[in-house]
Formats: sequence, C-alpha cells, structure tokens
Amino acid sequence: MSLTSPLFFLFLVFTLLIYFTLPRRYQWFVLLAASYLFYATGGIKLTFCLLLTTITTFFAGLLLTRLEKKNHKKLVLALVLLFNFGLLAFLKYYNFAAAGLNIFLANAGYTLPTFSLLLPLGISFYTFQSAGYLIDLYRGKYRAETNLAKFALFVSFFPQVIQGPISRFDQLAPQLTAPHDLDYDRLKYGIQLMLWGYFKKIIIADRAVVVVNKVIDNFAAYPGSLIAIAVFFYCLQIYCDFSGGIDIVRGAAQMLGINLRENFRRPYFATSLADFWRRWHLSLGDWMRDYLFFPLSLSKPFYKLGKKTRKLFKGKLGKIIPTSLASFIVFFTIGIWHGANLKYIAFGIYNGLIISFSIVIEPYWNRLLQKLGINPEGRFWLVVQVLNTNLLVFCGRYFTRAASLGAALQMLKKTFFSFQPNAVSVQALLNLGLTKTDYLIVLLGSLVILGVGFAQEKGKAIRKTLEQKNWAVQWSLLMAMLLVLVFFGIYRQGFIASEFIYQQF
Amino acid sequence: MEAKVLSILAELNSDVDFSAETNLIDDDILDSFDIITLVGELNDTFEIEIGPQHLLPENFNTVAAIINLIKKLQAGG
Repeated sequence: MSLTSPLFFLFLVFTLLIYFTLPRRYQWFVLLAASYLFYATGGIKLTFCLLLTTITTFFAGLLLTRLEKKNHKKLVLALVLLFNFGLLAFLKYYNFAAAGLNIFLANAGYTLPTFSLLLPLGISFYTFQSAGYLIDLYRGKYRAETNLAKFALFVSFFPQVIQGPISRFDQLAPQLTAPHDLDYDRLKYGIQLMLWGYFKKIIIADRAVVVVNKVIDNFAAYPGSLIAIAVFFYCLQIYCDFSGGIDIVRGAAQMLGINLRENFRRPYFATSLADFWRRWHLSLGDWMRDYLFFPLSLSKPFYKLGKKTRKLFKGKLGKIIPTSLASFIVFFTIGIWHGANLKYIAFGIYNGLIISFSIVIEPYWNRLLQKLGINPEGRFWLVVQVLNTNLLVFCGRYFTRAASLGAALQMLKKTFFSFQPNAVSVQALLNLGLTKTDYLIVLLGSLVILGVGFAQEKGKAIRKTLEQKNWAVQWSLLMAMLLVLVFFGIYRQGFIASEFIYQQF
Repeated sequence: MEAKVLSILAELNSDVDFSAETNLIDDDILDSFDIITLVGELNDTFEIEIGPQHLLPENFNTVAAIINLIKKLQAGG
C-alpha cells in the first residue's frame, strides 16, 4: 500500500476512527493490527521475515536480561545479530555475490544458482531498529520488553516500518503503548505535516523524476550539460521523495498521538560534507554512530592504532587518523547498505575519503584562510562552504543514480569534459518530458521549500507562527495546500505516482 | 580533577568556555570525533575504561557530568 495511494488515505482514516473510539486500553492493539494489515498488503509471505526478526530479537532480549555472565550475553547478542543481518544480507546481496563468484567458478565448471528473491518492505529499517534494541539491552540501557505483542508493535509500527525513521526503543515503545486522547492540535499538526510531505513528493519529486529517468537511462545520447541538469533534478527528487515520505510518516504518527524523531535538518544548508550527513537521514547516521562508529573507535585495535599514530605524527593528525579510519568504515558500510552494486561502494568510498581527508587537512586549511585574511565565521565563507558542499553532494549523486559504476564514471566524464553549454535550450528542456508549466511548478515549489528551510534555519517556527493566526486562516491555508495538491499533483494526465525510493533499501 | 578535565577539553576546542556550557552534546559543541578524542584522553589520564555504553548525551553534556562518569568508573561502576 503506497503512502500516496487513496487506499492509504482510507486506511489511515479508518484506523484513526477505531483508534479513538475504542476504549483507550485497546489502542495499542489497534495499532498492532493496523501495522500487520498494512504490512501484509505488501505480501503475506514477506510478513514471515518481519515476524522472524521480531521473534528472534524478542526472545534474545529476554535471555540477555536473565543471563549473568558477560561472555554468554555476548554470544547471544552476536548470534542473533548475525542471524538477522545475515538474513538481510542474504536477501539483499546473494544474487550479486553469486553472479560475481560464477565468473570465477565458470572456469572450474561450477555455477551457483541465483534466486528471484523479493526484498521484504523496509527490511533494513526494521532490522536496524531491532538490532539497536538488542545492543542497548546488552549495554544495560533499559530492561527487555516482556510482552511479545507490544514488542511486535515496536518493530512493525505502520507508518514508519517501510522507510523509517529508525527509532529507539526507549523513545518509541512507551508512546506506542500509552493511551492517547484525540487532540485537535495534534490532528491539525499531523495533517499539516502530511500535506507538506505530499507537496514535496507529488508536486516536485514525481515531476523531477521524469527528467531524471529520461536523461540518465539513456545518458549516452545527451551532452554533459543536460546530464548535469538531470543529476540536479535527481538531487531535488531524492530529497523531496525521502524527506517528503518521512513527513507523511511523521504526520500520520502525530495524528495518532505519537512523535517520531526528525530525519532531516535542511541538508542543503550544510557547510561541509560531514555536516551534510548530520542533516540527512539523521536516524541512520545516529544509528551508525552509536552502534558502529563508537564501538569501532573505542575497540582495542583502534586504541592500539591510535597509540602508534600519535607517536608517529605529532599534534592533531596523530590523534584523528584512527577516528578517520573508523568514519571511513562507516561510510563504506552505508554505501553497501544502499545496495549490492559497485556504484554504492564507490559512493561510500567517495564520501568517506572526502570527510576523512577534510578532517586531516582542517588545521592547515584554517591557517591558510588566516593568511588570506578570510574570516572562517564570516558570511562570505559560509556561502562558499554551502555551495561547495552542495557541489560535492551533487557529484556523489552521479554514483547513486547511474545504472552502474561504469555509467556513473562516464556521466561524470561527459559532464566535465564535454559539457556543451550551448546544447541547453528551451526546446532541449521541453524534450525531456516536462512542459513549461511543469518546470515553473518545480521551480516555484523548490523556492517554497528553500524559503521555509531558510526561515527554519534562522530559528523561526513556521507552524507556531501559523498558530497565532485565527482558525479561519489556518484552515484556509490547509485547504489551499490541498487544492494545490489536487490540481498540480500526480492526478494529472500522464503522471503515475512513483514508489518511494528509500522503501527499496 | 576538574582542572584536568577542563584542560583536556580546552585542547579539543580553545574557543569554548566549557565550564559554562550545559549542553555540550545536544548543542553539537562536541561532535562524535571530539568525543572519541576526549574519551581516549580521559581513559589514559584517569586510568578508566569508558566504553560505547557510556557514550550517552547525559554523560557528556556538562563538565560535572563528565566528572561524575569518571568517578563512577573509578569506583568500579
């Protein structure tokens, strides 16, 4: 059931009706039933994988709380994490690995079979969420959930199960099982947030995708300049698609009285690539920090490496080499997590290298700025940094969108070495599948997002400002937003609501 | 102990008055790289073992919280 489908709308209204009319002690049960119904519409068989992760994690959690010896706890944790990440890896990477191995095995006369494996919806998201719960239990952060049904709800909560945000047990679970009264303000906030999400998704992302697919799927036929335009549209698309989807998810949860964490903090205002990743997909970044980066950096091998590098290099450089290496491993992992394809590995390496390198050169860079008389805190340098970061992100997007690593490199080559700026004309743009009105809508829509982002960046709370207007203004604005969606959204001729990009991960 | 902790923090970033800050983590004054460097120094200086399970915002938001954590670990907890 797609979040943009009328069916989802009906499903949400129906769930809200039952949720707020039944006695409050049954509310969490309604959420559980709704979550499994929602998930099962994506395929009954795939629900089995969700159940498997839920059950193994739940019982491992109970065991962790009961076991006394640290070694035993470690073993349980390792086995269950291995099983669940193994399942994820098998479903995600088996065919890729088998195809790769078959090239070598062919000489020896063997071939590994490949299967048509369907990836369960949101498997990465609920696997990460469950693993976080288990690691926290191992670290003694809280006690295990003793009710299987309540735990199942934590893993499967319907708005967030398909594309996050990846939540923490101690923040989400108590909210899911607590009784909630119908709250007019929360309902209104929820609707506003959902409409904002739909605005991003069906007004902008679903238009931008037309240009992106047209050019990138047949990039050989286009000059570098048009490829660059298509990748720029892809940057718009992926932000509006993912953050819009998260707004819809958070809005739906808010209507039910549940606050999900933020996943984006205006990444296009980032001042460095590291800053970008602190603003983009926050819940994955935080997960990687707490469960991969920290343990890795504090592990014995990294500690020993740190001692050696501090001896070899005096000053900051010696201290940050092991941390940079850990961060590089994190980015490599995030790259692989995106999918079984060399282009994602390259994407991880690209980000990891730039970030590690910038940390190493930072002290020298600051000295250079001082010599040039540039104030690193000044507005001029801020703008340069933001533009530079966007350029780096833009180049990185070549890897994630191209069909393969080879295609990404060729597209980059064309952009840099055969740009052909004269090829950009009104007619050339109109040949990419969008009309003049479409381009205008994308432009205006993006400006609205940029304007709202700028105001938020300055610390203005848009919804609080709205709050101070009278109810007629507030509801008129909502209605206007709804009308915009109906008139300029996907329901026009020729447009098909596309699936959200991140739910495939 | 406070003086030692403050001098380690000052080495990380000399522009911040760490004794006055109450939200070192939540306000992003210390990022994850700083935390790792800080933990390395604290472990060496006070002969303790701060592990990933201790890396919670509430343990690092203020100098007092950091000192509390050190004392707790020195006492064997």
